[in-house]
Amino acid sequence: MAAPTERELLRGTLDMLVLKTLSWAPMHGLAVLRWIEAGTRERLQIEEGALYPCLHRMEQKGWLIAEWGYTDGGRKAKFYRLSAAGRRQLAAEVSRWRHYTETVALLLAAEPSP
Amino acid sequence: MTPDDTRGFLRRVFRLPESRARSRRALDDELRFHLEGRIEELVAQGLSRHDAEAEARRRFGNLEIHRNATLAIDDQIIQEHRRMDFLDTVTRELRHAARSLARSRGFTVAAVLTLGLGLGAATAIFTMLDAVVLRPLPFANADRLVELTSPVPKFKGDTLWGLARHEAFYFQDNSRAIEDIGLYQNAEVTVGGDGGDHPAERARAVQASAGLFRVLGITPEYGRNIVLGDNVPRTPTVLVLGHGYWQRRFGGDASVVGRSIDIDGYPMTVVGILPASAQLPDQQVDLWYPANTYPGQQAYNNHTWNAIARLRPGFTAASAQRELAPLTARLPELFPDAEPPNFVKNTGFYTQVRPLRDVVVGDVMTRALWILFGSVLVVLFIAAANLSSLFLVRMDARRREIAVRAALGADRSHLAAQLLAESVLIALAAALLGVALAQSGLRVLLTMAPTSLPRLNEVELGAAGIAFAAGGALVVALVLGLLPLFGPSLLDLGLLRDGARGSTISRRRHVVRGALVVSQVALSLVLITAAGLMVRSFRNLRSVQPGFNPDGVLAMTIAVPGQRYGRDYARTSAFYEQLITRVEQLPGVAVAGVSEKIPLKDGNLCTGVTIEVPESDRASGDCPSTALVSPGYFEAMGIRIAGEPLTWSGMDQHDGRMIVSSAFAELHHWTGRDAIGKGLKYSGTTPPWYRVSGVAADVLADGFDKPPVSIVYFPMLPLPDAKLWGVPTEMNLVVRTKSGNAMALAPAITRIVTELEPSAATANATLMNTLVAKSMARRTFTMMLLGIAAAMALLLSVVGLYGVLSYVVGQRRGEIAIRMALGAQVAQVGRMVVAQSLRLTALGVGLGVVAALASMRVLQSLLFGVKPTDPLLLGWAAVLLLAVAVAAGYLPARRAASIDPADALRAE
Repeated sequence: MAAPTERELLRGTLDMLVLKTLSWAPMHGLAVLRWIEAGTRERLQIEEGALYPCLHRMEQKGWLIAEWGYTDGGRKAKFYRLSAAGRRQLAAEVSRWRHYTETVALLLAAEPSP
Repeated sequence: MTPDDTRGFLRRVFRLPESRARSRRALDDELRFHLEGRIEELVAQGLSRHDAEAEARRRFGNLEIHRNATLAIDDQIIQEHRRMDFLDTVTRELRHAARSLARSRGFTVAAVLTLGLGLGAATAIFTMLDAVVLRPLPFANADRLVELTSPVPKFKGDTLWGLARHEAFYFQDNSRAIEDIGLYQNAEVTVGGDGGDHPAERARAVQASAGLFRVLGITPEYGRNIVLGDNVPRTPTVLVLGHGYWQRRFGGDASVVGRSIDIDGYPMTVVGILPASAQLPDQQVDLWYPANTYPGQQAYNNHTWNAIARLRPGFTAASAQRELAPLTARLPELFPDAEPPNFVKNTGFYTQVRPLRDVVVGDVMTRALWILFGSVLVVLFIAAANLSSLFLVRMDARRREIAVRAALGADRSHLAAQLLAESVLIALAAALLGVALAQSGLRVLLTMAPTSLPRLNEVELGAAGIAFAAGGALVVALVLGLLPLFGPSLLDLGLLRDGARGSTISRRRHVVRGALVVSQVALSLVLITAAGLMVRSFRNLRSVQPGFNPDGVLAMTIAVPGQRYGRDYARTSAFYEQLITRVEQLPGVAVAGVSEKIPLKDGNLCTGVTIEVPESDRASGDCPSTALVSPGYFEAMGIRIAGEPLTWSGMDQHDGRMIVSSAFAELHHWTGRDAIGKGLKYSGTTPPWYRVSGVAADVLADGFDKPPVSIVYFPMLPLPDAKLWGVPTEMNLVVRTKSGNAMALAPAITRIVTELEPSAATANATLMNTLVAKSMARRTFTMMLLGIAAAMALLLSVVGLYGVLSYVVGQRRGEIAIRMALGAQVAQVGRMVVAQSLRLTALGVGLGVVAALASMRVLQSLLFGVKPTDPLLLGWAAVLLLAVAVAAGYLPARRAASIDPADALRAE
């Protein structure tokens, strides 16, 4: 389980991570999780159940499009893919995130003024 | 695809709504997939099945919480979708319907025109009904306002007396039902000239008690109302101006309050100006001045006052009348000076209470408007029937399309939505057209409508009328849109299999269409009969001999100031003699005369007269009307006299001649020349007596449908010792012209009057023919509107009949072609079509005759000289409809006959 600080961070960024993940290819929920785990070298461990309200909310907002399909193993699963609106949302979140981390980095790197 | 997938596919294609149960199942599938995937993965990594499950659950967290959170979101999604689907469906169906209607422009135009016409007529008449009958009078607490009158059934049939002043005040103090009571009498007065732009003129005045202002809720615009103190006579008296008169005569100058005005030669002080809304019920009033009415004054037996009362909440006219009965019965005992002891017993005197609105509008008008409303509803129904017929034809043409949609999973509600969308669009367009038609129709109606109809100034197409049109359109749209769904044939998938034939369906449709036509014809027959009855009544009424000849006759009121003329018969008579002499010199004038009362204008309240030698069996109801007349009046009015007429020289020399009406003579059993020489007097029993010199033809003075008025005519210059009821300071001048426009004489006559007497006034210049037309106004108006309704019904029925026949011919092309190929003659085929038209019409006519016989009784009170079940009229209506049926069949018959067998059979 992730440490509390990581969880706080996660809550605001889960949307962005999911969008980013789905920007590669349509996936079902479990695949999304595996991607995030692999991509973060298992440093981020998410409470998996929380992914589903997140996915459905983004579907409601029109960022994701859900369709039932079949996995390579021939099993029926619900696949999500990014809509055009989702792509725009991802771009917006990413740029906001960059701006935020740059600002924080600037502050942390600052020397005390003479 | 699995059946599940197929359903999903169809659901998406037809956008069928998602359900919560389905979304729940889908979520559980998704979560199960997740957990099972994890477990398999962990098992592959070497965990035992049991441990893998526990680990997967641990990683997932609280299943219930996450599941519920997700479900909540899903529910929102479903709701959003449903909302959007609904809006989407509506706009899509409407757009689809609009496109499909635009494709068949002929159908659309026909449908909108038909329904728009029906809605327009119904809306126009509803607006009138609403304004005149349904809406309360424009007064505060109008529903509690009543009129009090005094019928005297044992004395004189349907005569209504007013109230006596003491009676009104007694009721006000002692009745629980009556909250307040107002008294008034109408009067015409002469407003003196101001020496400038305004010469002396007649004005419509009302003598009012202070209570009248309270009852009607009148608050003055400037100054004050008439109050109780004003009702005690004193000089100078006060005056309140009506808004319109204030504007006309004083240019809306508020400083007129406090000024003194010359009324009938007396100064009166203006104390107030009323707002435009202050009127008597359906009556314009120029001036209001105090009546001599106050509590505790001497009681007189003068039941002449109009009384309007406001009831306390909770009382109705009927309960108030019941409450007043014992109070009325006690009057002679309480006021012995006023009423003789057996007054109530002898006259049957009682107090009648009627809602003011009923009095103003009248039973005949109320009934006429309801009948007209019923008629236009029938027209609307016929229009809607035509429309259903059109829709059915269209449905048949689209059976394949609908069957395909049904097969693809569209359920009835979707098909209904599509049909509904089309009918809603048509109804909407028709409602717009209807409102526009009603608007212009009402404008025309109101200019044609006689001004004597009540409350016409309140008729205006407003929210109620528009709501009616919209509501009517909606009902028609619903019925039309849903009607075709009630048969199972719509969803008959067999259609797809065997081509688009389905002859059993079209037979069912034939029956429906036939029924529609039959009911249209039947209803048209009823309306045509009703219109025919009204036309016959009108013609009967016009052909009645009224006892006078109104053609080319001008009548106008001449009034001389009472102050100088009011006590002097000789002076007044001399004035009128001079006037008549001068008028007779005008070019085009044949003869002129004056009379206190002229037919169809002045009321004929009766008074008693004394007869020199009373018969032993005095006729009951011996209560003639009386009038002062000049020589020449009878000639000018065209009333024939048997015997000797009045002459100028004879009257001036006091020859004592007088004239009685034939009805009066008959009442006294004076036949032939019996009446001549009989002695009569207005009051008293001593000589000198007036001597009857001639008997005047009976005059239908109260209306052509009323019995003739029993009246005695005295000379305007009375015998010196046989005084009459008062100097006639107000007379009707009656002028018979030889040729030309009688109305054009009015200005010249007014000039002569002013030359003879500058303070005299003229008013009410009108042709006698106008008075005749006015007296028939309600009938004429009803007749005209019923005629229009009947014509519309006839037209729409013809269109309906034509439509059905054309369709049938189209359907039977194949059959007709075979017949022709087998040697049938063109004429035979034509006859077949016409015969079908006649069959339907004959059935409709039969039903219509039955309906007419059953329903025409409601017209009874509007008819004159014709029975509601007049067989001749019914026969003519039937013949008319059958003739029309032949005509309607003609074009389709020709089309049928021109079918080329080869072409038609190939097309099959």
